[in-house]
Amino acid sequence: MASPDQVIVRATDVARVYPTGATAVSALDGVTLEVRRGEFLAVMGPSGSGKSTLLNILAGLERPTRGAVIVDGADLSTMDEVALASYRREKVGMIFQAFNLLPRYRVLENVALPLLFAGVPLDIRLERARAVLDRLGMGPRADHRPSQLSGGEMQRTAIARALVTEPSLLLADEPTGNLDSANGEALLALISELHARGQTVVLVTHDAGIASHAQRTIHMRDGRIVN
Amino acid sequence: MLAFGNYARSRLRSTLTTLGVAIGTALLVLLIALATGAEDNVKRSIFSIGDLRLVTVQPFQPGATGLSAVPRTISDDLVAKLKAIPHAQSVYRQYDAPLGTLLEGGEDATIRPQGIEAGAPVDRGDLLAGRHLEPSEHAVAVIPGNLARLVAATPEAVLGRKLTLRLGGAVKLGSTRIGGSGTPRDYVVTVVGVFDEQASQTSVRIPLEDALLAGADNRGLTSDALRQATGYSGVAIESDDSQYVAEVVKSVQELGFSAFSLKQVIEQIDKGFGVFRGILAGIGGVALLVAAIGIANTMVMAVLERTREIGIMKAVGASPRDIRAIFLAEAALVGVFGGVVGLVLGVLGGRAIELVISNLNPQANPAPIFVVDLPLALGALGLALLVSLVAGFLPSRRAMRMSALSALRYE
Repeated sequence: MASPDQVIVRATDVARVYPTGATAVSALDGVTLEVRRGEFLAVMGPSGSGKSTLLNILAGLERPTRGAVIVDGADLSTMDEVALASYRREKVGMIFQAFNLLPRYRVLENVALPLLFAGVPLDIRLERARAVLDRLGMGPRADHRPSQLSGGEMQRTAIARALVTEPSLLLADEPTGNLDSANGEALLALISELHARGQTVVLVTHDAGIASHAQRTIHMRDGRIVN
Repeated sequence: MLAFGNYARSRLRSTLTTLGVAIGTALLVLLIALATGAEDNVKRSIFSIGDLRLVTVQPFQPGATGLSAVPRTISDDLVAKLKAIPHAQSVYRQYDAPLGTLLEGGEDATIRPQGIEAGAPVDRGDLLAGRHLEPSEHAVAVIPGNLARLVAATPEAVLGRKLTLRLGGAVKLGSTRIGGSGTPRDYVVTVVGVFDEQASQTSVRIPLEDALLAGADNRGLTSDALRQATGYSGVAIESDDSQYVAEVVKSVQELGFSAFSLKQVIEQIDKGFGVFRGILAGIGGVALLVAAIGIANTMVMAVLERTREIGIMKAVGASPRDIRAIFLAEAALVGVFGGVVGLVLGVLGGRAIELVISNLNPQANPAPIFVVDLPLALGALGLALLVSLVAGFLPSRRAMRMSALSALRYE
């Protein structure tokens, strides 16, 4: 077992129950998990296995019904909406299958968006966003709208937006799901490269080929870790 | 920054909503400007009647008016007491001699001889020719311009002329002849001044002693006996500042006499116009309320339409306050734009209406009908902003409370 300062995520007996009418649906049922700093972890499982719910809890987008989730020393399960918002702003960057870019804003503005909510002045926001875009090879696309980009470029923009706040944790939910195989491979290469430079990554997928890029893979079924 | 972008995006809807606010604001501005303009006009014509520092003492008990007035005698004793009232700077007695006729002017030239003291407020600053009455003069008069023109070609030409005032007896008032009092007597006076007949077309200003004498003659009394029997017709008190007028009025009433002041009339008018303005503002306010419902509707639509966007912003770290601020800023933008446009529309609309009216009814120096002062302009802008914020409050709270995850999944 790793020493405490090397552990960035420590989830203990985490459960998430959705009340749907008379019967409650249990999406997570007692998950205990550790992620080490600098690790690239893949969470695999079929749809409905609870892997996305786990990721959303790590992202601070929903709260566990039971259990403790400690990320970088802070317990997510006790945070209110405001504290969760600043957690999302400061500690995590997330990319989604559907990219989730704001269509009306330029690539540069999309990437700078998290810094707006962090209260960073406009010129510094744009400067930092441009630096991240340059690093990911998206510099020439900075002034385009998302609709003018290819799928691969959209996901690179989303990664740039996730990285602009220099988060401790990069979370990816089926990031290649809307990409063709060439673009998907390129994206995984990029994530691997970020990992190689020290970025902690948790990636959720149902595809074993994609999971094989990770250092470690855990498998989930019916809200539990099964391996 | 975000608010401006959103405003620009749904341009048609934002424009229509803004237009609603603009029309509401314009209507409010127009109606209140109309009330202010009307009040200004009424006050201006009152200011032109006389001095706000004046209090007129009338030979009645205070409170009663018209036929129910109980007569009281304004004696020399009372005049002495009036002079002792604090802030009563000057006190001028007046005695109205019996009605009569200016003989040289023919039988239509009915006159009301006002016996006044030199320097009395009625005999100030309205001369067409000559001078006002001076102390210790006798057998002189200051007459209105219309009577002067019956006698001579110009006001100047009548100066120094001796005219005959036939006082008492029957006089013609309009087209009817009334009996009058006592036997008519003739008094010859020298015209020393001619005043602008805008103040009065029948008043002839003569020295107080002359008027008392004429009144006494008419009743077969001595001047002193007359003063005791009937007293003066009125007393004008000039206070040292209009702010003391209410106090002076109160002191006069405590002495048991009716007192009248333009200042108090104006205060009454203020109250009356306050109600008038309130009603008009209420009508304009309803227009603004309708606009507010428009804003609320637009904002509810915008929140719904941008649910996914709200989810994305929350996912990348927007706090609930940030989300609320974005939508409130949008509502405020509509309010400020609408308010400014409405203010301009209101002012221009007022000008346009004034222009049309002055074309229909040309006057040399028309009084403004709509008056937009600074408090009105700022108040209208502030109200438009306030109304927008209130209208945007519930929709923005809805956006604020949205769950990030379900907003992200919203299609």
